[in-house]
Amino acid sequence: MELTSPGAATLRRDPDQATGGGGTGDAETADVALAASGDGRAFERLYRSHVARVHSLARRMINPDVADDVTQDVFVRAWSKLGTFRGEAAFGTWLHRLAINVILARRTTLGTERGRYYDAENVLDAVPGRPVVHELSLDFQQAIGRLPDGAREVFVLHDVEGYKHEEIADMLGIVPGTSKSQLHHARMALRKYLE
Amino acid sequence: MNDTWTERLSEYIDGTLPDAERAALEAHLAGCTACRTTLDELRRVVARARALDDRPPAADLWPAIAEQIGVSSGAHHVVSLAERRTRRVTFTVPQLAAAAAVLLLLGSGGAYLALRRPPVEGGGAIAQRGPAADLTTSPVGWVQKTSSRYDAAVAELQSALEQGRASGRLDSATVRVLTQSLVTIDSAIVQARRALAADPGSAYLNQHLADTMRRKLELLRRASALAPART
Ligand SMILES: [Zn+2]
Repeated sequence: MELTSPGAATLRRDPDQATGGGGTGDAETADVALAASGDGRAFERLYRSHVARVHSLARRMINPDVADDVTQDVFVRAWSKLGTFRGEAAFGTWLHRLAINVILARRTTLGTERGRYYDAENVLDAVPGRPVVHELSLDFQQAIGRLPDGAREVFVLHDVEGYKHEEIADMLGIVPGTSKSQLHHARMALRKYLE
Repeated sequence: MNDTWTERLSEYIDGTLPDAERAALEAHLAGCTACRTTLDELRRVVARARALDDRPPAADLWPAIAEQIGVSSGAHHVVSLAERRTRRVTFTVPQLAAAAAVLLLLGSGGAYLALRRPPVEGGGAIAQRGPAADLTTSPVGWVQKTSSRYDAAVAELQSALEQGRASGRLDSATVRVLTQSLVTIDSAIVQARRALAADPGSAYLNQHLADTMRRKLELLRRASALAPART
C-alpha cells in the first residue's frame, strides 16, 4: 500500500496552510487537474510551492549530497502518477508520502555505500563522554544527518514530520517498539546539539 | 546517572506510557534530578525538531525536471507569485511586450487547437490574427486593448464546456471543481482590473492580470478538451 492515508502528518505543517496565499486551495486544485492533463506550467507551479518541503525531507532523511537528485526523482514520479491522485488527501500530503517512498527506496540502494563512508565517523552513538573534537561544531540539522540510519529515519518521520509510530513501523518494515526505542536513542543523542 | 526510568522518558513525553507506569515515573521524577534534567533536554529536542524550517534547494531543479518529463521550461519561465510580490516592477517594457504576445498566441491559438473544430463566425478571428504587432509598441495597457478578443475566446470555451456538461461527458465532481476554480480566478481578475484602473502604468499589475487571464484560458481549454462539444 503506498500513497494512502494522510495520517498524522497532516496535523503539522500542511503545505496547503503554510504557503500563505498564492497557489493554495482552489487554485492548487485547478493546477493539479491541469497538470494531470499534461499542463507543464501548472506542474511547475506545484513544483515551486512544494519543492522546499520535499527537498528538506530528502536532506534530512538521506544526505544533502543526493537531495537534489532525489527531489528531481520525486517530481518526475509525481508527474507520471498524477492520474492516480484521487483528491482524498491534500495534494501536499500525497506528494509527501510519495517522497518518503522514493527516499526509502533510494536508501536501500545507497545502504551499503553509505555504511562504508559514514560508520567510521559516526559521532552520534550516544556513548556518554565520548571525546570527539568535531561534534560540538555540528549544528542541530547536521547532527540529525549523523544519526545512525534507523534512528535518523524514525526521528525525522516522528519528530519532524509528525507521523505516528504505527505508521513509521509500517513504512520501514519494523515493529512499533523498535520505532519507539530508535526515537528515544535519537533524541538522547541530539541533546548535545541544542543551541 | 542512567537509571531504568531514563529509557522511558520519550514515551512519557509522547504520552504513550501506560497509566500505572506514568504514575510511577512521576513519583520517581520528584526525587531524581538527573531524570528531570534529561526530560527537560528531551523536550527541547522535540521542540527544536518541530521548529525546523523547510528550505528550497540552492539550485533551481525545475529545468532538469522539465526536461525529464518532456515539457518546456525555458520559453515561459514562471516567476512565483511570492517572488513577484517582492520584486514588483522589475519587468522591462520589451520583456513585458514579448511575454504578452507569447501569452496571447499560446492562449487563443491553443484554445482552438484543443477544441478541434472550425472556429465559428465572430470569434474565429482570434486564432488567425497575429496579435504581436500592435503589442510591441505599447505593452502597458495591452490587456485592455485585447480584452474583447480575450472575452470572445473565453465565451467560446465556456459554451463548449457547457455543452460538455449538458451532454454528461463531465462528471459532477469535475464540474464542481472547475466551477470553484473559475470563481476563484474570476475574482482574482476582478481585483487585478480594479487595481489596474487605479494604477494603469504598473508593469507588475499588467503581468499579474495577464497571468491570471492566461490561467483561466488554460483551465477552460483543458476542460473543453476533456469534454469535446458534440455537433
Ligand atoms: Zn532517574
